[in-house]
Amino acid sequence: MRRVSTVLTAIMCLLLVAALASRTPAASVPEVLIGDVLPLTGNFASLGQQYLWAGQTVEDIINNDYPDLAVPLGPGKGFPGLGGAPAKFIFRDDQSRGDLARTIAEQLITVNRVHWLNGDGTSGNTSIIQPVVESYGIPMSCHPCASPTLTEKGMKWYWRTGPNDRTMVASLFSFLKEWPEHGGPKGLKTVAVFTCDNLFCQDNRKIANELLPRLGFEIVLDLTTKTGATTLASEVQRLQAAKPDILFLVQYPPETSIFQGDAKRAGWTPKVIATSNGAYSDQTWLEAQKKTNGGAGWVGRDPTAIDLVQGRPSWKKVNEIYKTYSRGQTMGELAMREITGLLWMADTINRAKSVEPAALAQAAMDTNTPPEQLIIDYKGIRFNQNHQNELATGVVTQIGWDGEKHTVWPWELAKRANFKILYPNPGWQERDSTPKPAE
Amino acid sequence: MTLLLQAIVNGLEMGFLYALVAVGLTIIWGLMEMINFAHGEFLMLGMFGAWWASVAFGLDPLLSIVPVGLAMYALGVLVYRQLMRRVQRGDPFTQIFATVGLLFLLQNSAVAVFTSDYRYLSDTLLTRLSGANVNLLGITIGVPLLIGALLALVLFLALYLLIDRTEFGLALRATAEDREAAMLVGIRPQKMFAVAWGLGAALVAVAGAILANFFAVFPQVGFPFTVLAYAIVALGGFGSILGTLLAALLVGVVQSVTTVYLPPAFKDAFVFASYIVIGLCRPQGLFGRF
Repeated sequence: MRRVSTVLTAIMCLLLVAALASRTPAASVPEVLIGDVLPLTGNFASLGQQYLWAGQTVEDIINNDYPDLAVPLGPGKGFPGLGGAPAKFIFRDDQSRGDLARTIAEQLITVNRVHWLNGDGTSGNTSIIQPVVESYGIPMSCHPCASPTLTEKGMKWYWRTGPNDRTMVASLFSFLKEWPEHGGPKGLKTVAVFTCDNLFCQDNRKIANELLPRLGFEIVLDLTTKTGATTLASEVQRLQAAKPDILFLVQYPPETSIFQGDAKRAGWTPKVIATSNGAYSDQTWLEAQKKTNGGAGWVGRDPTAIDLVQGRPSWKKVNEIYKTYSRGQTMGELAMREITGLLWMADTINRAKSVEPAALAQAAMDTNTPPEQLIIDYKGIRFNQNHQNELATGVVTQIGWDGEKHTVWPWELAKRANFKILYPNPGWQERDSTPKPAE
Repeated sequence: MTLLLQAIVNGLEMGFLYALVAVGLTIIWGLMEMINFAHGEFLMLGMFGAWWASVAFGLDPLLSIVPVGLAMYALGVLVYRQLMRRVQRGDPFTQIFATVGLLFLLQNSAVAVFTSDYRYLSDTLLTRLSGANVNLLGITIGVPLLIGALLALVLFLALYLLIDRTEFGLALRATAEDREAAMLVGIRPQKMFAVAWGLGAALVAVAGAILANFFAVFPQVGFPFTVLAYAIVALGGFGSILGTLLAALLVGVVQSVTTVYLPPAFKDAFVFASYIVIGLCRPQGLFGRF
């Protein structure tokens, strides 16, 4: 009888140990695995590399001690909420292909068993990954993806801290609408919309078609061109013939530079060139404009007042870290959006004190990050029911003769930036004869 | 009417640039009948070569075509000797996969070395001339593109003379047509194929060096040009130098005129539609012999 009770006690003890082991306390997670699907090669590789550097920057910030860095998880090493566990980012290249992105996402979830999935940085491919992640039920984010549809589908596991195109394009058109009341030109009425053919460009096109007539503008031409065009000379001919006051241009850097070449050859410049993301967000395109004055006068939307935010100590420190990974390149606004989002993700995991999806989702929805903790000009981070950050904002900037972006809207920020708006858009001769900032 | 004439002139100018890109493929695919999907990557290397020579040594791309051409000739020979010679007698699919592999190797190597950043040349002879135009009866002709077109013509003339009027060209054509018969008269086919690959790579790289004045330089730049180059060589007739030139001009004009009157999405669709139409009437292409 005694032997039986000893055996029973031993079995009970074993069961208890097994039960406790299966409920591993969060604090004993050896490392937090973040899967990052990125377009590191293929058509969107120039975006992917910025996201890679952003991911490496955030991994560095989480795992190393930066006592004076006023961003989430800046001071201290690892996740304090998880007993100091470090973050491990698993970066995978999807070659800018949606089908491969989908396969990789599945592998990261089922083989690598990541706790959070980030990527792919382009709206089109992200929309392909979303259903996969949704079916496995782990948290996912893509912060620079701006297509409104990504959050409007009501996904349960997808979050975005960055503003969507609707917010940012609306900012651009609000600026154009309000400009006359703030000393701007009064006769700007007609708009030509010139976009590429992928999800990002077409979303911008749809928003423009929806908003412009409502704001009293007339669309005189709406042209969509193929990504990867080798010439845009005929498109420029049609734009020139349509005589728009404003050109709303949404194109990637290679097509934008082809457009510039063809427009210069045709000797055509509209009064205003307003643009949205694409080349305007690409650091290498912006740097190249300093040698030619090609971008001077271009107006574009940005998620932050890039000229004002650079004064923040946390921005400077994060940029220093970023530059150690980016071969010396300064953070562009895409990298800033990604870093802000990934730091929010780290903060969420830390607050959840667990890597269980339900706990992470709850912590994500409980987010209420004040603007002081951000390196970007959002009014904070707080999610609406579609998991879109409702405090993400859009600003409008213009490239000056110094080749830098200056905030021109909203008006209170524009006042702080104290920049005299260039109008009309300078002609090609004026661009050629004005000293170039990079010379 | 002016709109149409301007579109035709724009198309012709672009056509000459397309011809430059297709000329290397005319030799490798058109004449020697070997498939090369990495053609656009040779173009990309030529563009990077010109960009690097300009940034590092201040060499204008119009001058760097010489070192770039020589370096790419060596690379072309190397690719043939180390890769294509081994797959040459195999199934055509082996050639396709070998060159697709080469495409990824070259493209991803460029990403590793140069990153995926877009690079631009802004202080070259042709970029300084950007905006300079010749106006003729209300039609604007861009001077830099005109120079590019003239260079393309010179290259074509040189290639035409080389292939059609020299013993070397005869040996090259003989090798392509009947390797065994060529060997009987003392021609070494392996050497001819190696030279053809060298020439093909050098020519497209020279085209790349010139195009670097007009386009952003980045690792994926070659693909759209490769697609057009294949259509041009097939349209012009395999192995026909003159056919390639005329097909390139036709492609440029079709693209340009279509876009003036129809949505730009039809631009490439009409290029390939014209290939289908010509293919139905003349399967050997405009100037093909077989």
